[in-house]
Amino acid sequence: MTSVAVQIATQASPSTLELRAYGVSKSYGATVALEHADIVLRAGEVHALLGENGAGKSTLVRILTGAIVPDQGDMQLHGKPYQPQNILEARSHQVATAFQELSLVPNLSVAQNLLLPKLEKSSLGLISARKVIAKGQEILSRHGLERIDAAAIVSDLPLAERQRIEIARSLENAGRVLILDEPTASLAETDWLFAQIRKAQARGVAVLYISHRLAEVREICTVATVLRNGRTIATVGLEEASDGDIFEMMVGHPVEKIRPDARAIDGTTQKRIVVENLCSDKVDNISFELREGEILGIAALEAQGQRELFRTLAGLQTRQSGTIKIDGKPAKFNSPRDALQFESGICFLPEERKTEGILAGLSAATNVVLPLLPRIARAGFIGRDAERNAARGAAGQVDMDERYLDFAIGDLSGGNQQKALMARTLATGVKTLLLFDPTRGVDVGTKESIYAAIGAFADQGGSVLFYSSELPEIVQLADRCMVLYNGRIFQEFVGRDISEQRLVAAMIGHHNATETVLETA
Amino acid sequence: MQTNTTPAISPRGHITDYLWRFTRGAGIIVLTYVAFYVLYGYLQPRALEPYAIAAQMNNTAPLALAAAGQTLVVLSRGFDLSLAGVISICNVVLAVMPLEGPGGALVSVLLCLLIGASVGAVNGWLVGYLRMQSIAATLATMIICQGIALVILKAPGGYVAEWITYEMTDRLWSIIPISGLVVAAVVGAWLLIRRTNFGVSIYAIGADESAASLSGINVRRVRFFTFVCAGMLYGLAGFMLSAQTATGNPTSGTPLLLLSFAAVALGGTSLAGGRGGLFATVMGAATLTLLQKVLFSSGVSSFYTGLFQGLVLIAAVVFSGFVARIGDKK
Repeated sequence: MTSVAVQIATQASPSTLELRAYGVSKSYGATVALEHADIVLRAGEVHALLGENGAGKSTLVRILTGAIVPDQGDMQLHGKPYQPQNILEARSHQVATAFQELSLVPNLSVAQNLLLPKLEKSSLGLISARKVIAKGQEILSRHGLERIDAAAIVSDLPLAERQRIEIARSLENAGRVLILDEPTASLAETDWLFAQIRKAQARGVAVLYISHRLAEVREICTVATVLRNGRTIATVGLEEASDGDIFEMMVGHPVEKIRPDARAIDGTTQKRIVVENLCSDKVDNISFELREGEILGIAALEAQGQRELFRTLAGLQTRQSGTIKIDGKPAKFNSPRDALQFESGICFLPEERKTEGILAGLSAATNVVLPLLPRIARAGFIGRDAERNAARGAAGQVDMDERYLDFAIGDLSGGNQQKALMARTLATGVKTLLLFDPTRGVDVGTKESIYAAIGAFADQGGSVLFYSSELPEIVQLADRCMVLYNGRIFQEFVGRDISEQRLVAAMIGHHNATETVLETA
Repeated sequence: MQTNTTPAISPRGHITDYLWRFTRGAGIIVLTYVAFYVLYGYLQPRALEPYAIAAQMNNTAPLALAAAGQTLVVLSRGFDLSLAGVISICNVVLAVMPLEGPGGALVSVLLCLLIGASVGAVNGWLVGYLRMQSIAATLATMIICQGIALVILKAPGGYVAEWITYEMTDRLWSIIPISGLVVAAVVGAWLLIRRTNFGVSIYAIGADESAASLSGINVRRVRFFTFVCAGMLYGLAGFMLSAQTATGNPTSGTPLLLLSFAAVALGGTSLAGGRGGLFATVMGAATLTLLQKVLFSSGVSSFYTGLFQGLVLIAAVVFSGFVARIGDKK
């Protein structure tokens, strides 16, 4: 493979090794989820597992933690055979996982969840609510979460707290191996998490860390194993591997990382959207314009009004005052459906693809062509071939493999779901797209495809307003960028002035950002 | 009253918290029941005499027990149609094979529990281990059980043992109805089960099966035993129904099937699983049967009973949904 690839140290003495897995595979019928995975986790080491969506990371995690039993492969823990048949068996070997999709039961209390499946009992042999809560609170405080009420019902807690509880539970059960699957998906900051990981590391726990955020991986991990298409590609030391090397191993080909020149947007192109003094819940007096062929980025910390701004523009939230003009006409729509048909049309791609985007039971093809149905229907009926042909065209625009079109979309990986949604958005034929974090939680390859699709859309005269939680994305994609702070437009950057440092400074409300950065630069 | 909402919440001592939990739990249905009983007492002054209360209790017990079993299955996110078949089989067995005396009654009740547990085990195996959908699996067992009931007794007839029909519908010290004690014992047993790992697991798999499984709960085993427990309650319901009717009927369980769902919904247990409780269902069943009495004593034709039961059900579900929404905004 690449020059930095380091062979797995098979010759090291088993006593220093915590968990080794060789040639692990798992298939579901004809679908191969994991073909041949090798990984060695050492005590006191934080090991990253990298790979695109669908590379088999989650399957490997589930195998290591006993949630599924592999078809083949050899696993050893502390030099002894390790074949967990279920989660509890893995837990009895002190191997525990914080799952990506969170495995907390929503209608139970925090303490009950921490102690499942065996709760503390009183002398009568019945569960003692008091003891359960006391034990739960003890576990929480052991992991720096005293502020969480152990008696609170999980569904009443914000997502970030639930993720911390999930992590705390795995920390509690992981005496030897701790597996963290996308532990920062809902966490805004990593301080608490990294402190806990370092504590576990000091105890001699082997940690497997899975994340799409390479900066984070570099901060906490020393070694990385890269999976691609269900196979281990290489295990590398992170010190000697550049981002480019890693992306190349993940994707299988070099990734273009140079920022393309901003398209020349001069004052002569038509104004597609003009927003003046817009106010609504959390949106405070925002004015801006979006021209034909322009990609306008929005950068902001969590909850600065970006969500509300998008929802207001899409007609999902009522505005309190201000005007929105589309193609020169005042917007009068109260639903996304109306927005699609208003003048040249606006289409909104929401952030929560599982709840707001996909229709999980239907095929990817049907999901893609939904907005096209009236156009391809004959006398109200839809031919299978017509649907496939229409879907194929749309899928091509986002570089989505045709063979996925016949699968139920819920069975596809997150990256392919997002591609399908992007294809659907493009298929609406509107001229303006509102994209809210369009690459959230997807892999590098999918990101590139989505960027290319957005770029092509703008080149054909389409206008794009997008928010992203990842700054490199804004830097790479946006012709112009507005930073929101407290519901207002705090600062605006154009073309080459868009850099991560400046955006960060403006996002935390630091004025004169441009000057200070220019001086240091 | 800590009988209904999700299990074991810490006492936070705030009066509004208590009120809140009360209304979310069995509160609404208890108040509804009391309101109907007051109306009944107004229309029928003798309603408060021990005899009338016992008669009311005897009428309620079969439905209350059957619906209690249904509640267990619904809490774990499932439906159980085999209820109708199990009750029918128990009823015809007791009518065909009357065993006199207290010893005979004991054998009879054990036999009913055994029949219920066996059918429940089949359901639990189909749903838990073979992963059949609960409606399909229990529909099949219901049809089979109804067939068996017809094989045992072709047409209504036979006599249930006199000891059972007299003693089980009697009053202890002329005051406390025996049937009430049976129902109370079931509610008591449930309160204990709720404080076991099994009880907590029923709520957990009802709310999120995959999370429960990733939390280390043996989902298949919990489902299996949930159906077994439910089946035993149907068996007990069949026993109490036989004591009440004193005769055998191979279709005697059928009318209870849909009413059991009505009682569950009326008690505020979510048909989507994971939320609710058994005591509220018992009160729901009691309200449904009391409604019949109220309508009868106010001179409304019995043809309208179903109409009113349906309306009360809709009103209760809408109202509890309304209360839940206020609570979410709180």
